[in-house]
Amino acid sequence: MNKEIPEEYLRFNIIERIQHIILFTTFLLLAFTGWAVKYPEIEQSQWWIRVWGGPETAGMIHRVAGITMLLDFIWHVIYMIYRIATGKISFHKYKTLIPLPKDLTDLVKNLLYFMGASREKPLFGRFSYLHKFDYWAVFWGMAIIGLSGLFLTFPVQASHLFPAWSLNWIWELIFIMHSDEALLAIVFILFFHFYNEHLRWEHFPMNMVWLTGRLTMEKMKHEHPLEYELEFGDKKEVDK
Amino acid sequence: MKRVCMTALLWFLLLFFIHPANADTFGCLACHSTMKGKVKAEKALVDVHVDSERYAQSVHGGMDCTECHQKFGSNPHQPQDDGDISGDVAALAKNISGKAEVDPVAMAACLGCHDDVYGLWQQSIHGMNIIEKGQADGAACTDCHGSPHYITPATEPSSLVNRNNVVKSCGECHEKESIAEKYNLGTHILERYYESFHGKKYVLGHQNVPTCVDCHRSHDIKKWDDPESPVLWDNRTVTCGKCHEGATKKFVTSVTHKPIGKDNPVPYYFEKGLIVLLLGTFLFIVSHVVLETFSEIRDRFFRKRKEE
Repeated sequence: MNKEIPEEYLRFNIIERIQHIILFTTFLLLAFTGWAVKYPEIEQSQWWIRVWGGPETAGMIHRVAGITMLLDFIWHVIYMIYRIATGKISFHKYKTLIPLPKDLTDLVKNLLYFMGASREKPLFGRFSYLHKFDYWAVFWGMAIIGLSGLFLTFPVQASHLFPAWSLNWIWELIFIMHSDEALLAIVFILFFHFYNEHLRWEHFPMNMVWLTGRLTMEKMKHEHPLEYELEFGDKKEVDK
Repeated sequence: MKRVCMTALLWFLLLFFIHPANADTFGCLACHSTMKGKVKAEKALVDVHVDSERYAQSVHGGMDCTECHQKFGSNPHQPQDDGDISGDVAALAKNISGKAEVDPVAMAACLGCHDDVYGLWQQSIHGMNIIEKGQADGAACTDCHGSPHYITPATEPSSLVNRNNVVKSCGECHEKESIAEKYNLGTHILERYYESFHGKKYVLGHQNVPTCVDCHRSHDIKKWDDPESPVLWDNRTVTCGKCHEGATKKFVTSVTHKPIGKDNPVPYYFEKGLIVLLLGTFLFIVSHVVLETFSEIRDRFFRKRKEE
């Protein structure tokens, strides 16, 4: 029997799961309280902001959630640096989060498969191009929206940082950055992340890995065949 | 007997209604509260109707009509000599006659009680525009406060200068392109306010964000480059500092009301770039999800046998 292959595979440890939970709670709060400010002239916005306790309260929720998310972000970055420094993160091509040329060919292969031009599905490692896109989109979004949000929360202090020649346009720039990037993030999460982790056939109603952190070996083989091969490939052969 | 009763009732009714206003006012309103329509005056049509109920509820409700309509004495509609009009009011009436469409004396009569505010206004850009330049489109008392018959305290939601209405009231003139062009004020001032964080929060009902008058002041509003103007660059640190403690000269440049256009290229093209990024990403994720959904359906229902 497969004695050496465990029944489950720990995909996300408890720290990563907590980071994700903080991330999505604050994200939802930020999206809910910020949405009305993007389109205040719409009648429903005024109703919606009252649901969140009026503009003053909603603004406070938004600031607290924003700072919590930034702290979560900083925690994550420090955690990742620590993991890299202690050699706990593998840079193997089937394990890494770094985008590689393979991701582009995977995308093309996948699109060809979708359109029926090919019968071969691409095989993914620990992170498929979708996961990498998801991760880096959020990473970039948090950096941009978080930084501009900090500037908007503390405008007097932020103004010391800007060079004199930028003062004619910097605030408009920061405002556009915060608002348009937030729209992008919300639509991205609502559409892409929800499809991939909730609506997709094999995950519906949701992929439980965010809560348990564990994948069954069946799923592991199916969703991350290259990582499976890397981790348990030789053992499997022994069993045979 | 019947006649006696009737007379008594009429007297009772008369005395009952006299109670809130005095006899003089009652006499005027007896006709003017029921009259409808407009009569032609020299410069404009005059609405002769006065809503007696709203008048009674206004801040001026207890006043005699003739306290402001000083041209009319006990014999209505027979203009009196200037002698009965106080000297200050008469002088002011002459100054603002270009603005007044009907009766400059009645317009100037606000001075009688509100001389402090009237004094500030006379030195303001709105006041000087009327008094010194004789412009009829400058703002006087009634342009912002509405008809003196119906003025309510600024804390009332119905007041035109209540913080929830004041931006709209300023917009009555400052949203007009003709005014913006005539006085070289720049267009889209209100639009830019509504686009700003101050304006967005204001529309949502935030009670602590500034409206027009919090930065520009009201009765003593000045041209922006007047040394006394609160929005002159040198004075802004104080004005912005009312809310933004420690506001510096660098900080106060952040509010301009300038439109984002090609004359301010950095945010203009940055926004264009972001829109391309936005649409590009949407196009990618939408087509990816749609294609994948179709292939998933195809795999589940039409290629099922092959997988087994």
